Amino acid sequence: MNKNVVIGLLGPVLDSGKEPKRWERWRPTVSVCQHEELLVHRFDLIYQRRYASLLKSVIADIRQVSPETEVVPHCIEFRDPWDFEEVFAALHDFARGYAFDTEQETYLVHITTGTHVAQICMFLLTEAHYFPAKLIQTGPTNQPEQKVAGNYTIIDLDLSKYDRIATRFNQEKRDDISFLKSGIETRSPRFNALIEQIERVAINSVDPILLMGPTGAGKSQLARRIFELKKARRQVSGLFVEVNCATLRGDGAMSALFGHRRGAFTGAIQDRHGLLQSADKGMLFLDEIGELGLDEQAMLLRAIEEHRFLPIGSDTEAQSDFQLLCGTNRDLGQEVAKGRFRGDLLARINLWTFCLPGLAERTEDIEPNLEYELECFAEKNGNRVSFNQQAKRRFLAFAIGPEARWSANFRDLNGAVKRMATLAPAGRITVEVVEEEIQRLRNSWRDKADDPGRSLLREVLGEESAAELDSFEQVQLAEVVRVCRSVATLSGAGRKLFSVSRQGKKSSNDADRLRKYLARFNLDWDRVRQGSIMS
Amino acid sequence: MITIDGSQGEGGGQILRSALALSLVTGKPFCIENIRARRKKPGLMRQHLTAVNAAVEVGKAAVSGNSIGSSRITFAPTGLSSGQYHFAVGTAGSCTLVLQTVLPALIVADDPSEIVLEGGTHNAAAPPFDFLAGSFLPLLNQMGPSVKAALERPGFYPAGGGRIRVKITPSRKLTPLHLLQRGGIVDRSARAIVARLPYSIADREIAVVKEKLAWDADCLRSVEVPDSSGPGNALVITVASEQVTEIFTGFGESGVSAETVADRAVREAQEYLASDAPVGRHLADQLLLPLALAGAGSFRTLSPTAHTTTNIEVLRYFLDLDLKVKQQDEQTWLVSIDGKPPLVGSRAYSSL
Repeated sequence: MNKNVVIGLLGPVLDSGKEPKRWERWRPTVSVCQHEELLVHRFDLIYQRRYASLLKSVIADIRQVSPETEVVPHCIEFRDPWDFEEVFAALHDFARGYAFDTEQETYLVHITTGTHVAQICMFLLTEAHYFPAKLIQTGPTNQPEQKVAGNYTIIDLDLSKYDRIATRFNQEKRDDISFLKSGIETRSPRFNALIEQIERVAINSVDPILLMGPTGAGKSQLARRIFELKKARRQVSGLFVEVNCATLRGDGAMSALFGHRRGAFTGAIQDRHGLLQSADKGMLFLDEIGELGLDEQAMLLRAIEEHRFLPIGSDTEAQSDFQLLCGTNRDLGQEVAKGRFRGDLLARINLWTFCLPGLAERTEDIEPNLEYELECFAEKNGNRVSFNQQAKRRFLAFAIGPEARWSANFRDLNGAVKRMATLAPAGRITVEVVEEEIQRLRNSWRDKADDPGRSLLREVLGEESAAELDSFEQVQLAEVVRVCRSVATLSGAGRKLFSVSRQGKKSSNDADRLRKYLARFNLDWDRVRQGSIMS
Repeated sequence: MITIDGSQGEGGGQILRSALALSLVTGKPFCIENIRARRKKPGLMRQHLTAVNAAVEVGKAAVSGNSIGSSRITFAPTGLSSGQYHFAVGTAGSCTLVLQTVLPALIVADDPSEIVLEGGTHNAAAPPFDFLAGSFLPLLNQMGPSVKAALERPGFYPAGGGRIRVKITPSRKLTPLHLLQRGGIVDRSARAIVARLPYSIADREIAVVKEKLAWDADCLRSVEVPDSSGPGNALVITVASEQVTEIFTGFGESGVSAETVADRAVREAQEYLASDAPVGRHLADQLLLPLALAGAGSFRTLSPTAHTTTNIEVLRYFLDLDLKVKQQDEQTWLVSIDGKPPLVGSRAYSSL
């Protein structure tokens, strides 16, 4: 069993009393030693010299009611016991000089005595683990048999030990996480873990946060959510200022970010507060930070580090205290290597880097997001639209299938829902609407496809037939079509395509072999040469 | 090893103290579980821990579980050591309860001892010093040893600070004691003690005694004790008969009127006086153990309390006893022990 050690201050008022009558009164320091179930092995009693005689009688009284307790007096002088700085410094020194032995001793910091300032300091030093202790709070009671000893409560500041408080905190945390996810019940474990981490960082840090991820993955939305969460927690009081750095190119970039003085350059007719200034005490979200020019990067770095910057044409520095959030879909490390991004700026902003996965990597989250988008549509248009069951099944099957590339991520999903909801007859999204939308999505992704072979196939086979090919066949057929278009005759194409295998044969009919191959795809020489019959 | 369920019967600290006392006397190790299990604050409290540690000292015992709140201890004495002892009880706990734990062993030890006890001398729910000195010790001394107790300073709850000095000349053999008749009453008195409190409290208690017991004014006294460090009050009613002196005590408590305090003590005295039993309830409790150690003896008493029956239970764990409790009439019971004296003290240790 560890020894109980109480650390407390002698209370000049509450602990006072020399007459026998003092035994009829609750005196906090003595009372700590008057409980049947609390054995104090040592009492480290902090006192001021002018109360030395009170100290003597309190020690004697403790010895009488608690012969098991050794009282160790510690003299600490406060010129002004109500001066926070002085009291804190003195108690801090005491705590740092104390040889704690937590293996052998359990410490209880008695916070009922001393000035309120001293009590607060004792609390803070305990909370910050300078005293590796629990708190003990004592108080009088009305029960006659406990009148003198009073009662006491031991408080462990490790709140996780308190069920109800912990439940409250967990609920709050769940609320925060749900808030960051805009209330969407996302199912992707990777994404959920990411958001949990972001919540912790958002609540506890004022350092820059870097959100990486493909376009449309929700960086901007998440940035705004982080801001709103901090605002709800009263951690920021200013504004959320958002800018896409790709729009900041050229001469106006400096002025937009850092502001300018009137007359700084032609057209600077009046003073302009830059975005950094607007974000004071709030949050600045620089999306596509990789697009920021090198000069601006240098200014920004200093503004992050010192909260100071020089507006264009100004002699005096402006101040702004903001939390920086950055978004990027580029590999900034590579940008640094190419000399397009400052390494020191990257080092400063990637303390907390979170990589948002694209929608195609979070297929389990498509359904909850689909519901969310429908809600948003209803809210915006005052028109509730829903899927019929079969339509929903069809859409989800496509959405989570390999065909769906979701290359613009949530922007794609949002667009799809908007279109389907608008086209839905009588507020119901039907299978027909879904089929049309699927076609539209296919087209949009196909157009962006950078593979010339695939567009070649679409040309000769038509969209649907081309989509039905395995990629194994796609590659082969695309090459065949390319060769066919590069020579004048079927035989010429055959010779080229089978140039290796024909050498081992006495005779070969390459043209026939090619014709048969093409026939398997319902193609013939003319069609391959002319392009698709269907488009 | 003897294993005792501490939650049985009276279920409090008494089982523990009796077991410790008997273990010291007989040298038999024991284990007690569920200590004070049904109490509001279960397990060992500070005063119990003081008793355990005192027993450890006297019996040079190996012990486990001797910490606050512990519900189980094992205790194995290795030999009795007489001599000078000083036991201080915290929270103004009772000195006499600690004495109770070590006294039986020291009266059968080989050498004399002197014990200084500090703490409470007049505690509720414990034998007060007056009872010890005036009622119990004279009877114990009739059995062979010589135990003299002096009150050097009274101590009351919550200040404590009392001191009792006890000098023990042991007797290796205890003579059986038979208390079947009270004999004629030779003296009666009531003393109301106040310390650091208004004298009127004592006077009001005496007034209750005078009214209810109708005793002569010259045997009633209010006494102020000057040397107590804290406030306190007790009413001590003494009935001295030819064979035995009985003492009944009431204790002043915060929030309880002087009249109520006096009333409680008076009612106990009245019940005793209304019967012809020589031994009152509290004294019966105290006598059981010495009689069991003597191997024989008897007394007539009032209906047994939970304390008494629990004490008997604990005795049976350590001693092979022929102990009978028989109701004799509506008010009196006969407690008798008939057998050979058990091995006690150093002979008991060397026989193990």
